[in-house]
Amino acid sequence: MSTTTGSGRAAPTTREAASSGRRRSRHGGAITVFVVPFFLLFALFYLLPIGYAVFRSFRTVEREGTFGPATEVFGGLTQYEQVFASEAFWSSLGRVLAFGAVQVPVMLGLALLFALLIDSPLVKGKRFYRLAFFAPYAVPGVIAAIMWGFLYSPGLSPFTFVTGNVDLLGSGAVLWSIANVVTWVYAGYNMLIIYSALQAIPGEIYEAARIDGAGQLRIAWSVKIPLVVPALVLTGVFSIIGTLQLLTEPQVFRSFTTSISSTFTPNLVVYTTSTVPNFNLAAAFSVVLALLTFALSFVFLRLTNRRAFA
Amino acid sequence: MSILTRTDGYGPTTARERRGVREHPMSRLVAFVVMGAFTLYFLVPIWWLFVASTKSRGQIASTAGLWFADWNLWENLGFVFTYDGGVYLRWLGNAVLYAGVGALLGTLLASMCGYALAKYAFRGRDALFNVILGGVLVPVTALALPLFLIFSAANLTNSYWSVFLPSLVSPFGVYLARIYAAASVPAELLEAARLDGSGEVRTFFTVSVRLMAPALVTIFLFQFVTIWNNFFLPLVMLSNDKLYPVTLGLYAWNSQTNAVPELRTAVVVGAFVAIVPLILAFLGLQRFWRGGLAAGGVKA
Amino acid sequence: MSRHTQVRAGAVAVALAGTAVLAGCSGAAEDGEGAAPEAAACAPSEGPVELTYTGWVPGMEDAIAMWNEANPDVQVTYNTGPSGNAGTYQDFFNQLEAGEAPDLGQIEYDTLPNFRVQDGLVNIAGCEGVMESGEQFVDWTWQQVTFGEQDAVYAIPQDTGPMAMFYRKDLFAKAGIDVPSTWDEYADAARTIREEGAYITHFPRTDVNWFAGLVWQDQGRWFANDGEAWTVDLTGPESTEVAEYWQGLIDEGLVKDTPGFSDEWNNELNTGELWTWVSAVWGSNSISSGAPDTSGKWAVAPMPQWEAGQNAAGNWGGSSVAVLKGSEHPYEAAQFALWLNTSEEALTALNKGGGLYPATTAGLELPALKEGLEFYGGQPIFDVFAEAAAATDPSFTWGPTMAQTYNDVADGFGTALGGSGTLLDALQAGEDATKETLTSQSIPVNE
Repeated sequence: MSTTTGSGRAAPTTREAASSGRRRSRHGGAITVFVVPFFLLFALFYLLPIGYAVFRSFRTVEREGTFGPATEVFGGLTQYEQVFASEAFWSSLGRVLAFGAVQVPVMLGLALLFALLIDSPLVKGKRFYRLAFFAPYAVPGVIAAIMWGFLYSPGLSPFTFVTGNVDLLGSGAVLWSIANVVTWVYAGYNMLIIYSALQAIPGEIYEAARIDGAGQLRIAWSVKIPLVVPALVLTGVFSIIGTLQLLTEPQVFRSFTTSISSTFTPNLVVYTTSTVPNFNLAAAFSVVLALLTFALSFVFLRLTNRRAFA
Repeated sequence: MSILTRTDGYGPTTARERRGVREHPMSRLVAFVVMGAFTLYFLVPIWWLFVASTKSRGQIASTAGLWFADWNLWENLGFVFTYDGGVYLRWLGNAVLYAGVGALLGTLLASMCGYALAKYAFRGRDALFNVILGGVLVPVTALALPLFLIFSAANLTNSYWSVFLPSLVSPFGVYLARIYAAASVPAELLEAARLDGSGEVRTFFTVSVRLMAPALVTIFLFQFVTIWNNFFLPLVMLSNDKLYPVTLGLYAWNSQTNAVPELRTAVVVGAFVAIVPLILAFLGLQRFWRGGLAAGGVKA
Repeated sequence: MSRHTQVRAGAVAVALAGTAVLAGCSGAAEDGEGAAPEAAACAPSEGPVELTYTGWVPGMEDAIAMWNEANPDVQVTYNTGPSGNAGTYQDFFNQLEAGEAPDLGQIEYDTLPNFRVQDGLVNIAGCEGVMESGEQFVDWTWQQVTFGEQDAVYAIPQDTGPMAMFYRKDLFAKAGIDVPSTWDEYADAARTIREEGAYITHFPRTDVNWFAGLVWQDQGRWFANDGEAWTVDLTGPESTEVAEYWQGLIDEGLVKDTPGFSDEWNNELNTGELWTWVSAVWGSNSISSGAPDTSGKWAVAPMPQWEAGQNAAGNWGGSSVAVLKGSEHPYEAAQFALWLNTSEEALTALNKGGGLYPATTAGLELPALKEGLEFYGGQPIFDVFAEAAAATDPSFTWGPTMAQTYNDVADGFGTALGGSGTLLDALQAGEDATKETLTSQSIPVNE
């Protein structure tokens, strides 16, 4: 199925590329007008800061005496040595990987289930569900975390039958409590992306399945799901990136629970280091984190064998 | 024609509904229970926030969380909107400005760039696209200080610009615009426009933009939400609280609740008030953005 | 920001690939401004002056309005930020790096060394009236802002947080427990209260500065610096005594582990689940607003002592106002800071608007601080705190990376509350991590 989608798209692209390739010189001006404004801002607010962070990650400070002035000098890989020696950083990485390994499949599984149900004739009131499930996406992360923080706290929660028996904010459960917040915010958003992909499937395909006598479950499994795999890959990559950059929710939760350390997630490690302030080390952490994010997204795309970003 | 019409053609909703009559009642029941349970899951926290906004400070903790106690909403709103000289209203205004204008311009820039990437072959096109997508991989925490130094070099920290300008950049918007432009703007149409003597830029604004409308609305809304929710950048850039957007304002209030516990109510009520415009915006614009989402999913 | 840096910086914005140039800019700012350990000459500026001031004291605007009216030539603009570690310090560090910090900044005592190590403070000892003002302030605060050095004043003390014990007078009386005056009696009371089904207090994992206040009371020292290097000692005999004491209470299940200032904690205060809170003077507001149903039932007594008959107190919190590096008007900034923190009108306004407890000895005599408070059964509670302020050991020193130290100790406290490891382990871990952080910043440390 995926090959169909793939080749269906590849054909026009090639044709366009060929046709416009001949006119490259003629459209140079237009291309400049289209690309330069965005690229200028992108360079200024992404590339330049990234370059600067990379630069600083190779610097180190020297000073004399307890209150001596600091001088910045080239430090080679000093900061990176500290990154690789940092137990806190690597265990935070392990933590978010465990988080992602569970939360991303659960969230995407739910999103897929909702999308299939709303797309199927089994459910009435699709409009309502679509909106209700999507509404949490409009809640800013800080506010969502504060809200759930209240709902988890044994003394405040309306769900005392749960919070009275399970310590949702204890060191064992808090990671999964955060996973729930992330799922709550983003499941509906991912559902919509998948649902939209389902909507675009030509009706004839179902007719064929119908004639074969397939039920809804069968159609979902062997027709619909293969067709929305590209959408799943897309949402998967963004979820992986989001997981590795987890910051807001754990940070807000620190005011609700004692179980979240200042180095709970890699991004918290970066933040904590930059408040020391030790910007050089924070920059080195960030560079390593960005590279790992890239590597992981790349491996994921390879494993799923889809070029979501081509 | 455009994806929008094609999508409509592909979705034989009525036909599917008709077939639905034949579905097993048990399946329908299971589906209903699942959807019902998750409706509660998604809406109860928001309901709780609303209910909590109507309570006095003491009652938030001491009364049942999911139902009303004494109706204190108007007093609470009054407190939020008048505290510290009515700064909350200003924060809301700022957020609308940052997110509204920022998303509008950001959408224009991203769609132009994505359109060029889709419709013209030029040297370094793929490299450019990959670099732009790579932008989403870098943690925001790492960019804070460098961004600050850049703006300080231009003497623009602690100004509207310092939050507004970086918000204009949306790599995801470029991605979406590229995918969508490739799918919805036929090469033949551009060719025809060229034969009519229309310039490339003019063609974009007169013909292509219209074809890409659903994607543009989608990009706009995503960008709007991203800017509205972002508090890290303003936290770094702004020291004048008159320039804060509403999330940063709420964050600052939340950090002061030790010293001024009355602010706790303000945070809850302020949070509720802040999400209402977003939900309304999504409700109002929903028939536009759904079409745009399809592009990101299917054509990926 | 000097004209020189501006020009350079302008070039940077243009040169997209110019990361090295950008670095050059910040490097220049550091080198150019270097450290000037001796107090610089401090002369008034010519013509009208505009000062910027960033802090997070509610009601500060009222006091500033008074100043601006009386001083048309020195106008102060106030910006409210998030509380220090929630963002404002980070802002200051960034702004210092860019050379555009506000003229004045609110900095808590425990963070002053951090700013001094980062070369962010102006020595205002040479400014008119600054050295002379020293005797007006409570001893220990002056020690903090001078770092115990001659000819050095890096900030003007603003408020303090002398500690005492808030307790539920009604519940203690009903249960027939005497108000504990030593920590031993406090532990005994804790057991009795636990039998009543409640807790004597909570152990706040994240409020490491609260714990430091207890160590401070016991004459412990966490940091020392001899000019050559820092000594980090979070596990000295006094720290160990305090840690083991609380570990005992935790092991016996006598204290709750609710985080301080959370809504849940408020709720526990409000419902009588927590009977005492050893806290700072500003805690009186936290209780009265967090536990409104308990009005009239609380009272304040001095902190329990380690030895019967002693009279020692600790301190938790309090801020100073510092003139930040790069200010072009240190003279005016110093004059404003002096007025703000010593004049009766300003102190009254700050006490009224922000609940600040003044750092001057005269300020402790403000009429508002002599009244009985209804919430505390009419007790004039500030008398207890005034005594505590006077009984606070002046030689306690903070380290140069307290935010990090707090974080690391708090992480360990969290583990200890979770049942693995002890509070002492946490202090040891915090000590090790602090030494490591100092070393990685090239700040000399004694092993």
